[in-house]
Amino acid sequence: MIHTVTFDWLGVVDFIPILLVGLYYTLLVSVVGLLIGFVLGAIFGLGRISRNKIIYGASSVYVEVFRGVPILILAIWVFYALPLVLGFDIAPLVAGIISIGLNSGAYIAEVVRGAVQSVEKGQMEAGRSLGMSHHYTMQYVIWPQAFRRMIPPLGNQFIVSIKDTSVLSVILVPELVFQGRTIVATHYNALEIYTVVAVIYLIVTITLSKVLNITEKRLAHS
Amino acid sequence: MIIHVEDLHKKFGDNEVLKGINCDVEPQEVVCVIGPSGSGKSTFLRCLNMLEEITSGEVVIDGQSLTDTNTDINAVRTEIGMVFQQFNLFPHKSVMENIMLAPLKVRKLSVSAARDRALRLLDKVGLGDKADAYPAQLSGGQQQRVAIARALAMEPKMLLFDEPTSALDPELVGDVLSVMKQLALEGMTMVVVTHEMGFAREMGDRVLFMDGGVIVEEGKPDQIFDAPQHERTKAFLDKVL
Ligand SMILES: Nc1ncnc2c1ncn2[C@@H]1O[C@H](COP(=O)(O)OP(=O)(O)OP(=O)(O)O)[C@@H](O)[C@H]1O
Ligand SMILES: [Mg+2]
Repeated sequence: MIHTVTFDWLGVVDFIPILLVGLYYTLLVSVVGLLIGFVLGAIFGLGRISRNKIIYGASSVYVEVFRGVPILILAIWVFYALPLVLGFDIAPLVAGIISIGLNSGAYIAEVVRGAVQSVEKGQMEAGRSLGMSHHYTMQYVIWPQAFRRMIPPLGNQFIVSIKDTSVLSVILVPELVFQGRTIVATHYNALEIYTVVAVIYLIVTITLSKVLNITEKRLAHS
Repeated sequence: MIIHVEDLHKKFGDNEVLKGINCDVEPQEVVCVIGPSGSGKSTFLRCLNMLEEITSGEVVIDGQSLTDTNTDINAVRTEIGMVFQQFNLFPHKSVMENIMLAPLKVRKLSVSAARDRALRLLDKVGLGDKADAYPAQLSGGQQQRVAIARALAMEPKMLLFDEPTSALDPELVGDVLSVMKQLALEGMTMVVVTHEMGFAREMGDRVLFMDGGVIVEEGKPDQIFDAPQHERTKAFLDKVL
């Protein structure tokens, strides 16, 4: 006998509120995690262009480790192993935010480094030849140019991190995939639910790209 | 003298690019540096304001030794304007902002004083109407004249030019050269690395011919161009003239 599957697309509507709770956590973890990532990325990105060997070395270790470890394993370390070291538990949400922060920070550090180094050597020379210090030249000449070049790759990282939050269901963060999985466990409607989950991701990421495109155009004109 | 260079050596790794340069420049003097590609002209010029680290020897600018660790290199650089082959204007800043930045941040001029100075210099280089333009909206010749105005805004005691017209379309070279001539006539001390032999002959008080990291020959323009003493100078001039 041929096994037939019937789809119940209309029934999905009932679960939308549960999925929206998931969306809330997905956005919360992504946004807060990325804010941490921006701070870490700025610090270690500058560390990667430092002439101080120790600062450079430490920054490189950070970038290589947290860029190389899959975020799933990173989350498990933070959630299960870090409490053993610290002596207290870490809530799933916090562990998720830390994982996204550490991972995106490593990528953002490379974005920062790449953008600063992409500014032509002659710009620093022009600033210095006018008698401006290294610091002033960085502040007024190099950074403003580097910053504009960082916007597209940062936007890209934002989208990547939003999707990365989906693995945080393994440490019980109630984000979109986790919520979806909970529904599927009792209603056996995996295809419908996961399709809706994917559509929600698409709506968020496409909206974000549009916003980024507009920002880029604005900056290009100013 | 305002520039004193003694036994200047510069190595990039094992590659010795400057092999003992001696040269003095007097105030208001215009010194043109010519020579084949790779002879070390740019490196020499860049050692004068420490854009390149000096391997050995001494460079003294207006009484201050650059190799002396007590010398504040930023302060010395405010007295040495530099004009680059590729202009190196700040692309995110308007023409006015390009010119005003260092006077504001380094000389601590008021905004109105810096603006007055910038407008006066833009008039001087013939670009009074381009104050609000961005570098990308200007031709190469216009950009280079803005770069000259930017250097002048610090009221330096001397100007260094590294092939200021080499990146320009031929029809734009004249405007830049005439600004440089005007500066020379006003008594600006200038060291000019150039392939413009006409400029060197007309405006140079002295011409240095460099080859292989040394000054092979130097003298008055007539002497160098009409009666070169060294074979290498002759061979070079035969090629370029
Ligand atoms: N930053 C650097 N690192 C290593 N080698 C360098 C560097 N800058 C210059 N050189 C080398 O030093 C030599 C002299 O270069 P320099 O740019 O001073 O010559 P130049 O006379 O200005 O030539 P051109 O007429 O082509 O501008 C060249 O062989 C060049 O390859
Ligand atoms: Mg050169």
